[in-house]
Amino acid sequence: MMEFSRRRLLQTGGLVGTALVTGGLAGTAFSRIAAAADDPLYAAAKKEGALTLYWGSYEQQTMEAIRDAFKAKYPGIEVNLLRQASQTVYTRLRMELQSGVHECDSLGTTNMLHYTELKKIGALAPFEPVDGVHIPDAFRNLDPDKMFHVGAISLTSINYAPGKVQSPPQSWQALLEDQWQGKITTGSPAFSGDVANWVVAIRRKYGDDFLRAFGKQKPKVGQSNVDTVTDILAGERVVGSGAPFSYTLTQKAAGNPIDVVAPSDDAILNLGVTGILAKAPHPNAARLFTNFLYSTEVSMILQKNYWPTLRKDVPWAEGRSLDQLKWTRNTGDDLGPEVAEGIAKWKELVR
Amino acid sequence: MGVISTDSPDSAAAATARPAMARVPLARTVVFGAVALLLFLLVVLPFGWVLNNSFHDDITGGWTLGNYARIFQSADLLEPLFNSLLLAVATAVIAVGIGVPLAWLVSRTDLPFRRSIRVLTLTAFVTPSFIGATGWILLAAPNSGWLNALWRSLAGAEAGPLLNIYSMTGAIFICGIYTVPYSFTMVSSALDEMAVELEDAAATLGSGTLRTMLSITIPLVTPAVIASFILSFIQGLTLFGVPAFLLTPTGIPVVTTKLAEFYQLFPPEIYMAAAYCMPLLLVTAMLFWMRRRILGRKQFVTISGKSRAGRRIALGAARWPAFAAALLLPLVSVFLPYAALLLVSLTRAWGQGLSWENLSLHWYWWALFGNSETHTAIVNSLLFSTLAATLCVMLGTVVAYIVERRMVFGASLFGAVTTVPIIIPGIVMSVGFFAAYTRAPLNLYGTPLLLVAAFAATFLPIAYAHGGSILKGIGPELERAARSLGAGEGRTFLSITIPLMGGGLLSGWFLVFIPIIRELSVAVFLITPKTNVMTTLIYNAKDGGNYEAVCAMSVLLLLITLALVAAAGPLTRLTTVRRTSRKSGRKTAPAEGVLPT
Repeated sequence: MMEFSRRRLLQTGGLVGTALVTGGLAGTAFSRIAAAADDPLYAAAKKEGALTLYWGSYEQQTMEAIRDAFKAKYPGIEVNLLRQASQTVYTRLRMELQSGVHECDSLGTTNMLHYTELKKIGALAPFEPVDGVHIPDAFRNLDPDKMFHVGAISLTSINYAPGKVQSPPQSWQALLEDQWQGKITTGSPAFSGDVANWVVAIRRKYGDDFLRAFGKQKPKVGQSNVDTVTDILAGERVVGSGAPFSYTLTQKAAGNPIDVVAPSDDAILNLGVTGILAKAPHPNAARLFTNFLYSTEVSMILQKNYWPTLRKDVPWAEGRSLDQLKWTRNTGDDLGPEVAEGIAKWKELVR
Repeated sequence: MGVISTDSPDSAAAATARPAMARVPLARTVVFGAVALLLFLLVVLPFGWVLNNSFHDDITGGWTLGNYARIFQSADLLEPLFNSLLLAVATAVIAVGIGVPLAWLVSRTDLPFRRSIRVLTLTAFVTPSFIGATGWILLAAPNSGWLNALWRSLAGAEAGPLLNIYSMTGAIFICGIYTVPYSFTMVSSALDEMAVELEDAAATLGSGTLRTMLSITIPLVTPAVIASFILSFIQGLTLFGVPAFLLTPTGIPVVTTKLAEFYQLFPPEIYMAAAYCMPLLLVTAMLFWMRRRILGRKQFVTISGKSRAGRRIALGAARWPAFAAALLLPLVSVFLPYAALLLVSLTRAWGQGLSWENLSLHWYWWALFGNSETHTAIVNSLLFSTLAATLCVMLGTVVAYIVERRMVFGASLFGAVTTVPIIIPGIVMSVGFFAAYTRAPLNLYGTPLLLVAAFAATFLPIAYAHGGSILKGIGPELERAARSLGAGEGRTFLSITIPLMGGGLLSGWFLVFIPIIRELSVAVFLITPKTNVMTTLIYNAKDGGNYEAVCAMSVLLLLITLALVAAAGPLTRLTTVRRTSRKSGRKTAPAEGVLPT
């Protein structure tokens, strides 16, 4: 099996990068494939012949589009995609590691804690993707040892029904106004990682008083925060808290009467993370895929599906970008216990 | 209880039930050995891992009793248990309360459109209950539900909601109506096979139709009624989708939603989840003990080589009112929710409401052709379900036979083992299968065989219960006649018992095939990219909030399953014809054709 030194990879990456730009300019699949064919990493990956992805970030449709683009660019590598909810994927991987099963090459989930734990037990392999230089600065070098990288950017915000709400709440604080009593829908932090993140961020910002007041608003608590969209479209409630930013925009683009507000007291940003397994059966294919995530192709797919892109030079859909938003991200080493505490407080104060 | 039974002294009962000693000990040993081995692989081994897990600590991995201690010390963990019990009992009461009279109407009376009612009830069965719940959310959510909107247009805009599906009552209603097919199918199979002499006797003595039904017919099928009560109860305990959708918004936790939380935690509390299932096992064991007390040594033999059912009870003036009542279940479990799902699936963007511009077959096109994963998933779903259902019915029937005829010492242990998997919620059983089959010498991980095994094991209790309740109605006289004429145990079973079970076996096959095809959770840690199934895709679409796609795929799943049921129609007729010919005195056809292999 071929291994690559970092320098060698950087060199190759430069080549690939140039080739990519050329390919993008020429705009033909043929030239892209031709360029890719010169890439030694691709050659090594092709020799492995297959790639197994365990991914929970991105919904099925976007993930399949990314997979298909990878297959088109790198023919000869069979891609096996296991797309399940992040926590399910992670639980499975953990059990596989315990049983000494090594199926997974690339893991992509929405919880950074998964990676800190995997790193601790030596289950991840370091890799520095050359195209990682295009990642927005705030999310570059997540791990000093290059064991994991950003895989997805997800925003939690407020959504609402434009036809039924004249002036939607512009901040988390505004959700506590009397006019929204009995009108709010949200997900449960016990089921949804995004909502759990929201609870942590809100408690850091406003303390438990916010949760207490929020509980008095009698929100409808579904499972996933995707349920907020369902409730708004059905007309069951008119405003969603802890709502998915990208998914709401997808539904809006599909023609549904729904829209988002990025709260003035910060949208909550959560990073999806990706890493290569130390005992990956197809390590080169995994490296090729990780680098591919930061390609223009993938960011264009993300743009088309209303996800924040992974490159500085590719704007989001509708010309949005990270700089236009006020956002915050939960960081810290004790996030695990803090999430558990947040869920307990939620159960006490909200329901 | 007004059970018609011929109580007999112990020794006589044992003598009638147990055939003479085997003449070919080798063949007998092989069959029992094979059954025991299969049960070990399918049930004991994965369950053993679950049990083993329950005694381990999630953080340290060491041995502990702490998980069990936690259950009984924390109100947070006790409350879901009580809620689940309430849900389960209510579900079982509804399932039996509706399913049994419906089965009687369809099987024993001249109710109009009997066949249609049968098919519609099966349709309710095909529907995963979380899909039914989704349909009912569209209909009866307090603010937006279409039925509530209709109510407000009649009663005035200020009127409160007529229905609130987000409540314990709502969850009980949905669990109940989607569990009726179990009791309906089990009881109607028993009624279909029943002899009519006792009913005739009652009629001769002046008993009316209703009285005959209540005091003769239904009591005679008590084994099937009790078996279906227990199965419905277990359904109510182990369903996840319905409580997740309907009870989460009201803040009522049940065992399955609590289990989902264990898996959602970081790190996931897999071992705690295993321990949390054990109280369910205890409760269900109590139910089986009660069943033994109730059925005791009473006999329910109605098939004894004499005349068989065939003549129907005339309902007279009650025919059409009875038909209207029989339509109620399909109305609430099929017509209303599917109307809602169909409308959503036919819109391009469902939030826009209904308009010509918004109508589209886009999502059907997408589900069938626009998505490369769907093809493999549909083929896998059909293949795995067919294989698993066949294995399940074969094994379940043989175990039921061994237990009912008490063919071997400790036969009831076989029965108990067979019943375990259905009580353990799928996601926990999935971990058990994973642990059992990812290590040497039985590394089956990633193979279709593992999925087939897990599916077969999960629904083995249904095949076993169904087979048992049919066998209770078949007297051993014919088998004994065959044995005295020199047939071995195996031949007797294949050429006497199996044909007598007849259509019941076919309905049993569907009774497991359908839940397998819509099962999700036991597969959750066992599927791989190459062995993906349809329900994972539906769940991913739901998870991704793609409501139109969920509805379109659910309608497709329904159509595929109905097509299969329709294709099985000729097979059903075949068994019916055979029965008629038997009655007219001709020779019985060979048995093998009855089993849908």
